[in-house]
Amino acid sequence: MSGIASPVEHQVIPAQPRRRDSRRSAALRLARRREPLLVVMTLAVFFLTTALEPSFDTSGNINFMLESAMPLAVLAVGQTMVCLVRGIDVSVAPILGIAAVSTGFLAQDDGSSYVLMLPLALAIGAGLGLVNGLFVTYARIPPIITTLGTLSVYGGIELSLVGSSAVQTLPNSYATLNTGTILPDISYLLVIGVVVMILAALFLWRTTIGRALYAVGNNVEAAFRAGIRVNAVLVSAYALTGLIAGLAGLVYLVYYRGAEGGSGITENLNLLSIAAVLIGGTTLTGGKGGVVGPFLASIFITVADEAVLVAGVNPDWQPAGVGVLLLLAIMLDRNQSGRRSLREVLLARHPKLPLTPPSEATP
Amino acid sequence: MSTLPHERARPRSLRRLDADQRWLAALVGILIAELLFFNFSISGFWSGSGSSGWLGTETFTYTSIIALGVMFVIFTGDIDLSVGALAGFSGIVMGELHLGGMNIWLAVVIALLVSAAVGVLQGLIITFFKLESLLVTLAGQFILGASSVAYEGAVPPSSFPHHFVRLLGTGTVVGVPNQLIIFAVLALLSVLIVHRTRFGRQLVLVGHNRDAAAYTGVRVSLTRVRAFTLSGLFAGIAGVIIAATFNSVTDYIGTPLLLPAITAVVLGGVNIFGGGGRVPGVIIATFILGLLTIGLLDDGVGNNATSMATGVLLLVALTVKGVMDRRLGLPSLGDRLRGRFPPAPPAGSPEVT
Amino acid sequence: MNLTARRPRSHGSVEAALGDAAERPAVRYEARHIKKAFGGALALDDVSVTFQPGEIHTLCGENGAGKSTLLKVMAGIHQPDAGEILLGGEPQQALTPRAAQLHGIYLVPQEPTLMSTLSALENLFVGILPRGRLPFAVDWKRMERSAGEFFAQVGLEVDPREPASALSIAQQQLLECARALAHRCNIIFFDEPTSPLTAREADVLFALMRQLRERDFTVGFISHRLDEVLEISDRITVLRDARVVTELEHHEATREKLVSAMVGHDIAVRQRRHRNLSSAETVLEVQALSEPARFSDVSFAVRRGEVLGLAGLVGSGRTEIAEAIFGLRPASGSVILAGKPLSHRSPASLIDAGLIYLSEDRGRNGIFAEVDLERNITAAIVPRLPRHGPLLRPGTEYEIAEQASQRTRVVARSLSASIKSLSGGNQQRAMFSRWLLAEPKVAIFDEPTRGVDVGAKDDIYEIIDEISDTGVAVLMISSELDELVFLCDRVLAIYEGRVVAEVVGDDITLTRLGTLIVGVRDP
Repeated sequence: MSGIASPVEHQVIPAQPRRRDSRRSAALRLARRREPLLVVMTLAVFFLTTALEPSFDTSGNINFMLESAMPLAVLAVGQTMVCLVRGIDVSVAPILGIAAVSTGFLAQDDGSSYVLMLPLALAIGAGLGLVNGLFVTYARIPPIITTLGTLSVYGGIELSLVGSSAVQTLPNSYATLNTGTILPDISYLLVIGVVVMILAALFLWRTTIGRALYAVGNNVEAAFRAGIRVNAVLVSAYALTGLIAGLAGLVYLVYYRGAEGGSGITENLNLLSIAAVLIGGTTLTGGKGGVVGPFLASIFITVADEAVLVAGVNPDWQPAGVGVLLLLAIMLDRNQSGRRSLREVLLARHPKLPLTPPSEATP
Repeated sequence: MSTLPHERARPRSLRRLDADQRWLAALVGILIAELLFFNFSISGFWSGSGSSGWLGTETFTYTSIIALGVMFVIFTGDIDLSVGALAGFSGIVMGELHLGGMNIWLAVVIALLVSAAVGVLQGLIITFFKLESLLVTLAGQFILGASSVAYEGAVPPSSFPHHFVRLLGTGTVVGVPNQLIIFAVLALLSVLIVHRTRFGRQLVLVGHNRDAAAYTGVRVSLTRVRAFTLSGLFAGIAGVIIAATFNSVTDYIGTPLLLPAITAVVLGGVNIFGGGGRVPGVIIATFILGLLTIGLLDDGVGNNATSMATGVLLLVALTVKGVMDRRLGLPSLGDRLRGRFPPAPPAGSPEVT
Repeated sequence: MNLTARRPRSHGSVEAALGDAAERPAVRYEARHIKKAFGGALALDDVSVTFQPGEIHTLCGENGAGKSTLLKVMAGIHQPDAGEILLGGEPQQALTPRAAQLHGIYLVPQEPTLMSTLSALENLFVGILPRGRLPFAVDWKRMERSAGEFFAQVGLEVDPREPASALSIAQQQLLECARALAHRCNIIFFDEPTSPLTAREADVLFALMRQLRERDFTVGFISHRLDEVLEISDRITVLRDARVVTELEHHEATREKLVSAMVGHDIAVRQRRHRNLSSAETVLEVQALSEPARFSDVSFAVRRGEVLGLAGLVGSGRTEIAEAIFGLRPASGSVILAGKPLSHRSPASLIDAGLIYLSEDRGRNGIFAEVDLERNITAAIVPRLPRHGPLLRPGTEYEIAEQASQRTRVVARSLSASIKSLSGGNQQRAMFSRWLLAEPKVAIFDEPTRGVDVGAKDDIYEIIDEISDTGVAVLMISSELDELVFLCDRVLAIYEGRVVAEVVGDDITLTRLGTLIVGVRDP
């Protein structure tokens, strides 16, 4: 009836792990990813701009661009954590700001070194992120609304911490970080950023909590049934985002050599971090992506920003450009759009299931 | 049907209060309490004009209009994060056109058309490409905010014609502020649209269950696009009102209005996931929020703290609503979040096989 | 923070891996006197089944007979209302899926529940990731080694790093089996695995099942395909209407015995209606309707006042056909309503034209759960509600809804009660009143009595009779064959997306339909 006419025993062909093919398929998989594309795009923009303006390509300028991307890059790494579990956090900017301002004032007034300030920044960030996590998980308020609320609360806290003053002078140790380089041409800030990215990537790749983020983001029910403590994972994700945002605040402090009441918010870091996550290939539907993409995307955004300036475009239109880029990233990403992505619409494809031929009944 | 005979002819309003109506009653109570409180704590509250009296609507009319607009979108289960930025953008468009020599009223019309067009565009992108409204309107907020800054140029438009400012801004008719009248008209329209038209009926059905709405013949995409159009239009109106109120436009005034607008909608009892809630609730909530703002400002609390208070209010209101909904057995937000795409079939629907 | 339940022991080699699973002693797994109801409808009624080690035990039966529910109860997904479950003689209390896995019980579900974005490799170990030296570290190398062995055992030939979404259905099933082995389970249930598979893929699965049997695993299996069932089963239990009807061993099982057990010889209590349709004109005509992978070349016609039934197994494509007619899915072919071809079909235009569709999944896309009864009833005719200019008139709307609900005898406190507070039967009556308000010429009812208690069922049958009496052409999809027997004038049997037979009038019997829907050609 269904084609299994003869009751002949079939041997199971033992699986030969495809060693020969695995290298090729690994290469194909790599090519499909967003990260290499980002590198290519960044380089393309860079070289195009250099053609227009040769002074774009100096080690000083390159360094400058990479450094200026670091606060955003670290923040984007943080934003990735909640995006992996289908969340979003638009309060990361004031979290960054509060961390920057608090540690900044302490550094300015007491001369505390950044080594001491690091745990403080992390703790502040984690605490603020934890509040977000609790509201999302236990009060069951959608993440966008929760963080919209905490955005205003944290923003207010940041402003009231600062009052009318600002952090303006920091101990010399910070200046060393700001201007120093490890090898000639590779600044400390860049190294810090890369280290953070690597640590985060290791976390996501090689710890059980990190893997749990992916599982929960992909399929909450299945994760629950597999024994994962879903609520704990969710809260952790938000605390983690806050933690990294706090760290980003310290990075911000070092880069700008100061901080003020609107830090984080005036630079649109909220939207930029989300844009970096999306352009970096991590979806907001959860369970997919990583930190390398958003990191690279932050650099891309920064370079593109500078390039546009050099090309003579009115700087006021820059953020609009990022917004359009963001929109395109959303539309082109087949993972985010429900059933039809722009690519699919253009190519007029639709997924076909394997056709099971109807079977003849055996008489 | 075995209803009791005397139930048959009873119109809706006299039946047993449902959850929405109870929330409404609570809101009215809060409003009265607030009025009483300010009556005693602010001298000259009732007679005061300008921004410290109960008729100081100039401080919150524009936010309330934005709230009414975004309410339509939230009814369908979507969200529009761009409304604040769009209000700002609409003001800029009007201002710049006027600055360039155009008649102010023509500029107003164009600004409104542009705002509505933005709404249509966002709605089309969301429905045609099946994208999350959160993301698209987030990008929209960004683009509009930046465009406002860019379009504005060096000198913010200001000094609008006197009649414009009087009519839409600070003028009064027999002692009632014009803005209040405008708001009242828009509020009434909103009530009628949502509760008394076919479109409104379908709007709410889409929010309750998009699939079921499609199966009952509702043109879901069209309904959603219309909701975004309304949201855009109202944001545009708000932008014009802002311009009249302050007699100038700036690029930064729009975006922060998103939070209080959404807070008003949520406080008003509209379900953030779509479907539930009544427009009168939102209207009352806008007054509650608005008066709160006036009261706080009068107390010398800064803008900053007022904004924080709004944020706290949003979180508290949603938490309370969540707790109440769960106790009443309504699907908690978490359940719907977990199965974000179709809501799980209620217990009792049997398994297959 | 303990985010995984326990640490597995080292999986260093094939023998050790196998040894782990085999170390778990082979046990008998029994269900005794299980009762389970959903809402008002009974899914399992005093069901007792025993699964022995070293045996492939198949559950057989029609849609709704209770097979899948039983396995789900035994895998901890549902809690039984009564009865007990015994593992090796020991009763199990309040089983959860996780606890079942820990005891060695794994259910390969009908639809794969894998994590689509994670690799096949990782899917194997979600929840039991092998740890490295540090407590929170994940040991990928060990995972990859073990994965290779588990994949080999089940015959899965994929690159372990491919995301699970890239696997075919057959491969995903094998992955689920590998997952069972990775969890050291030796009681493995397969819930209707062969429906989406090709013959070749099914062969691979059966070979695996046989291997498991050789290793003294306890294997449970659900299928409709009688030839498969006869070929592979050591023991067959037939369920019908939530009860065990018979249990057969391999050597005594024949197709006839199976069919008669599945279908039963109960005489339908109701009398068949005999309608005179000789002069009735055709109202709905469907020609060569096709959707790739779902159904192909479906053609039929329905006349005024006629009740045409579509019989078939779950997954045979009937609902998809109905949805395609209603414009909810794209399909090629044509649909002609009252002589007019409908090319761009949408629910709105079809309702306008007089065709309605009562969907099978009331909970998901039928009712608006939080909305009151009145609004639910008028939902399909919102564009036609009485109004003054653009404004609706609420008073008349209430009367309309009231009359509609009386017509179908909805029992409710009042029309302002929210519909989810009603029983399944009343909800369905409300659905009927919704669609009747649309004054259809053609009505498609998909599983009209699903989740409906017995008393309401009779009411619904009367409603359907009355509707067809008024001249409405009815297309009725049902998995309950006796409904089709006493309501329909004609029945089409659908098998794997094609119309395989047409049965008319008094030829419509349970046995006839029962054999046709499992793909047996007309004898």
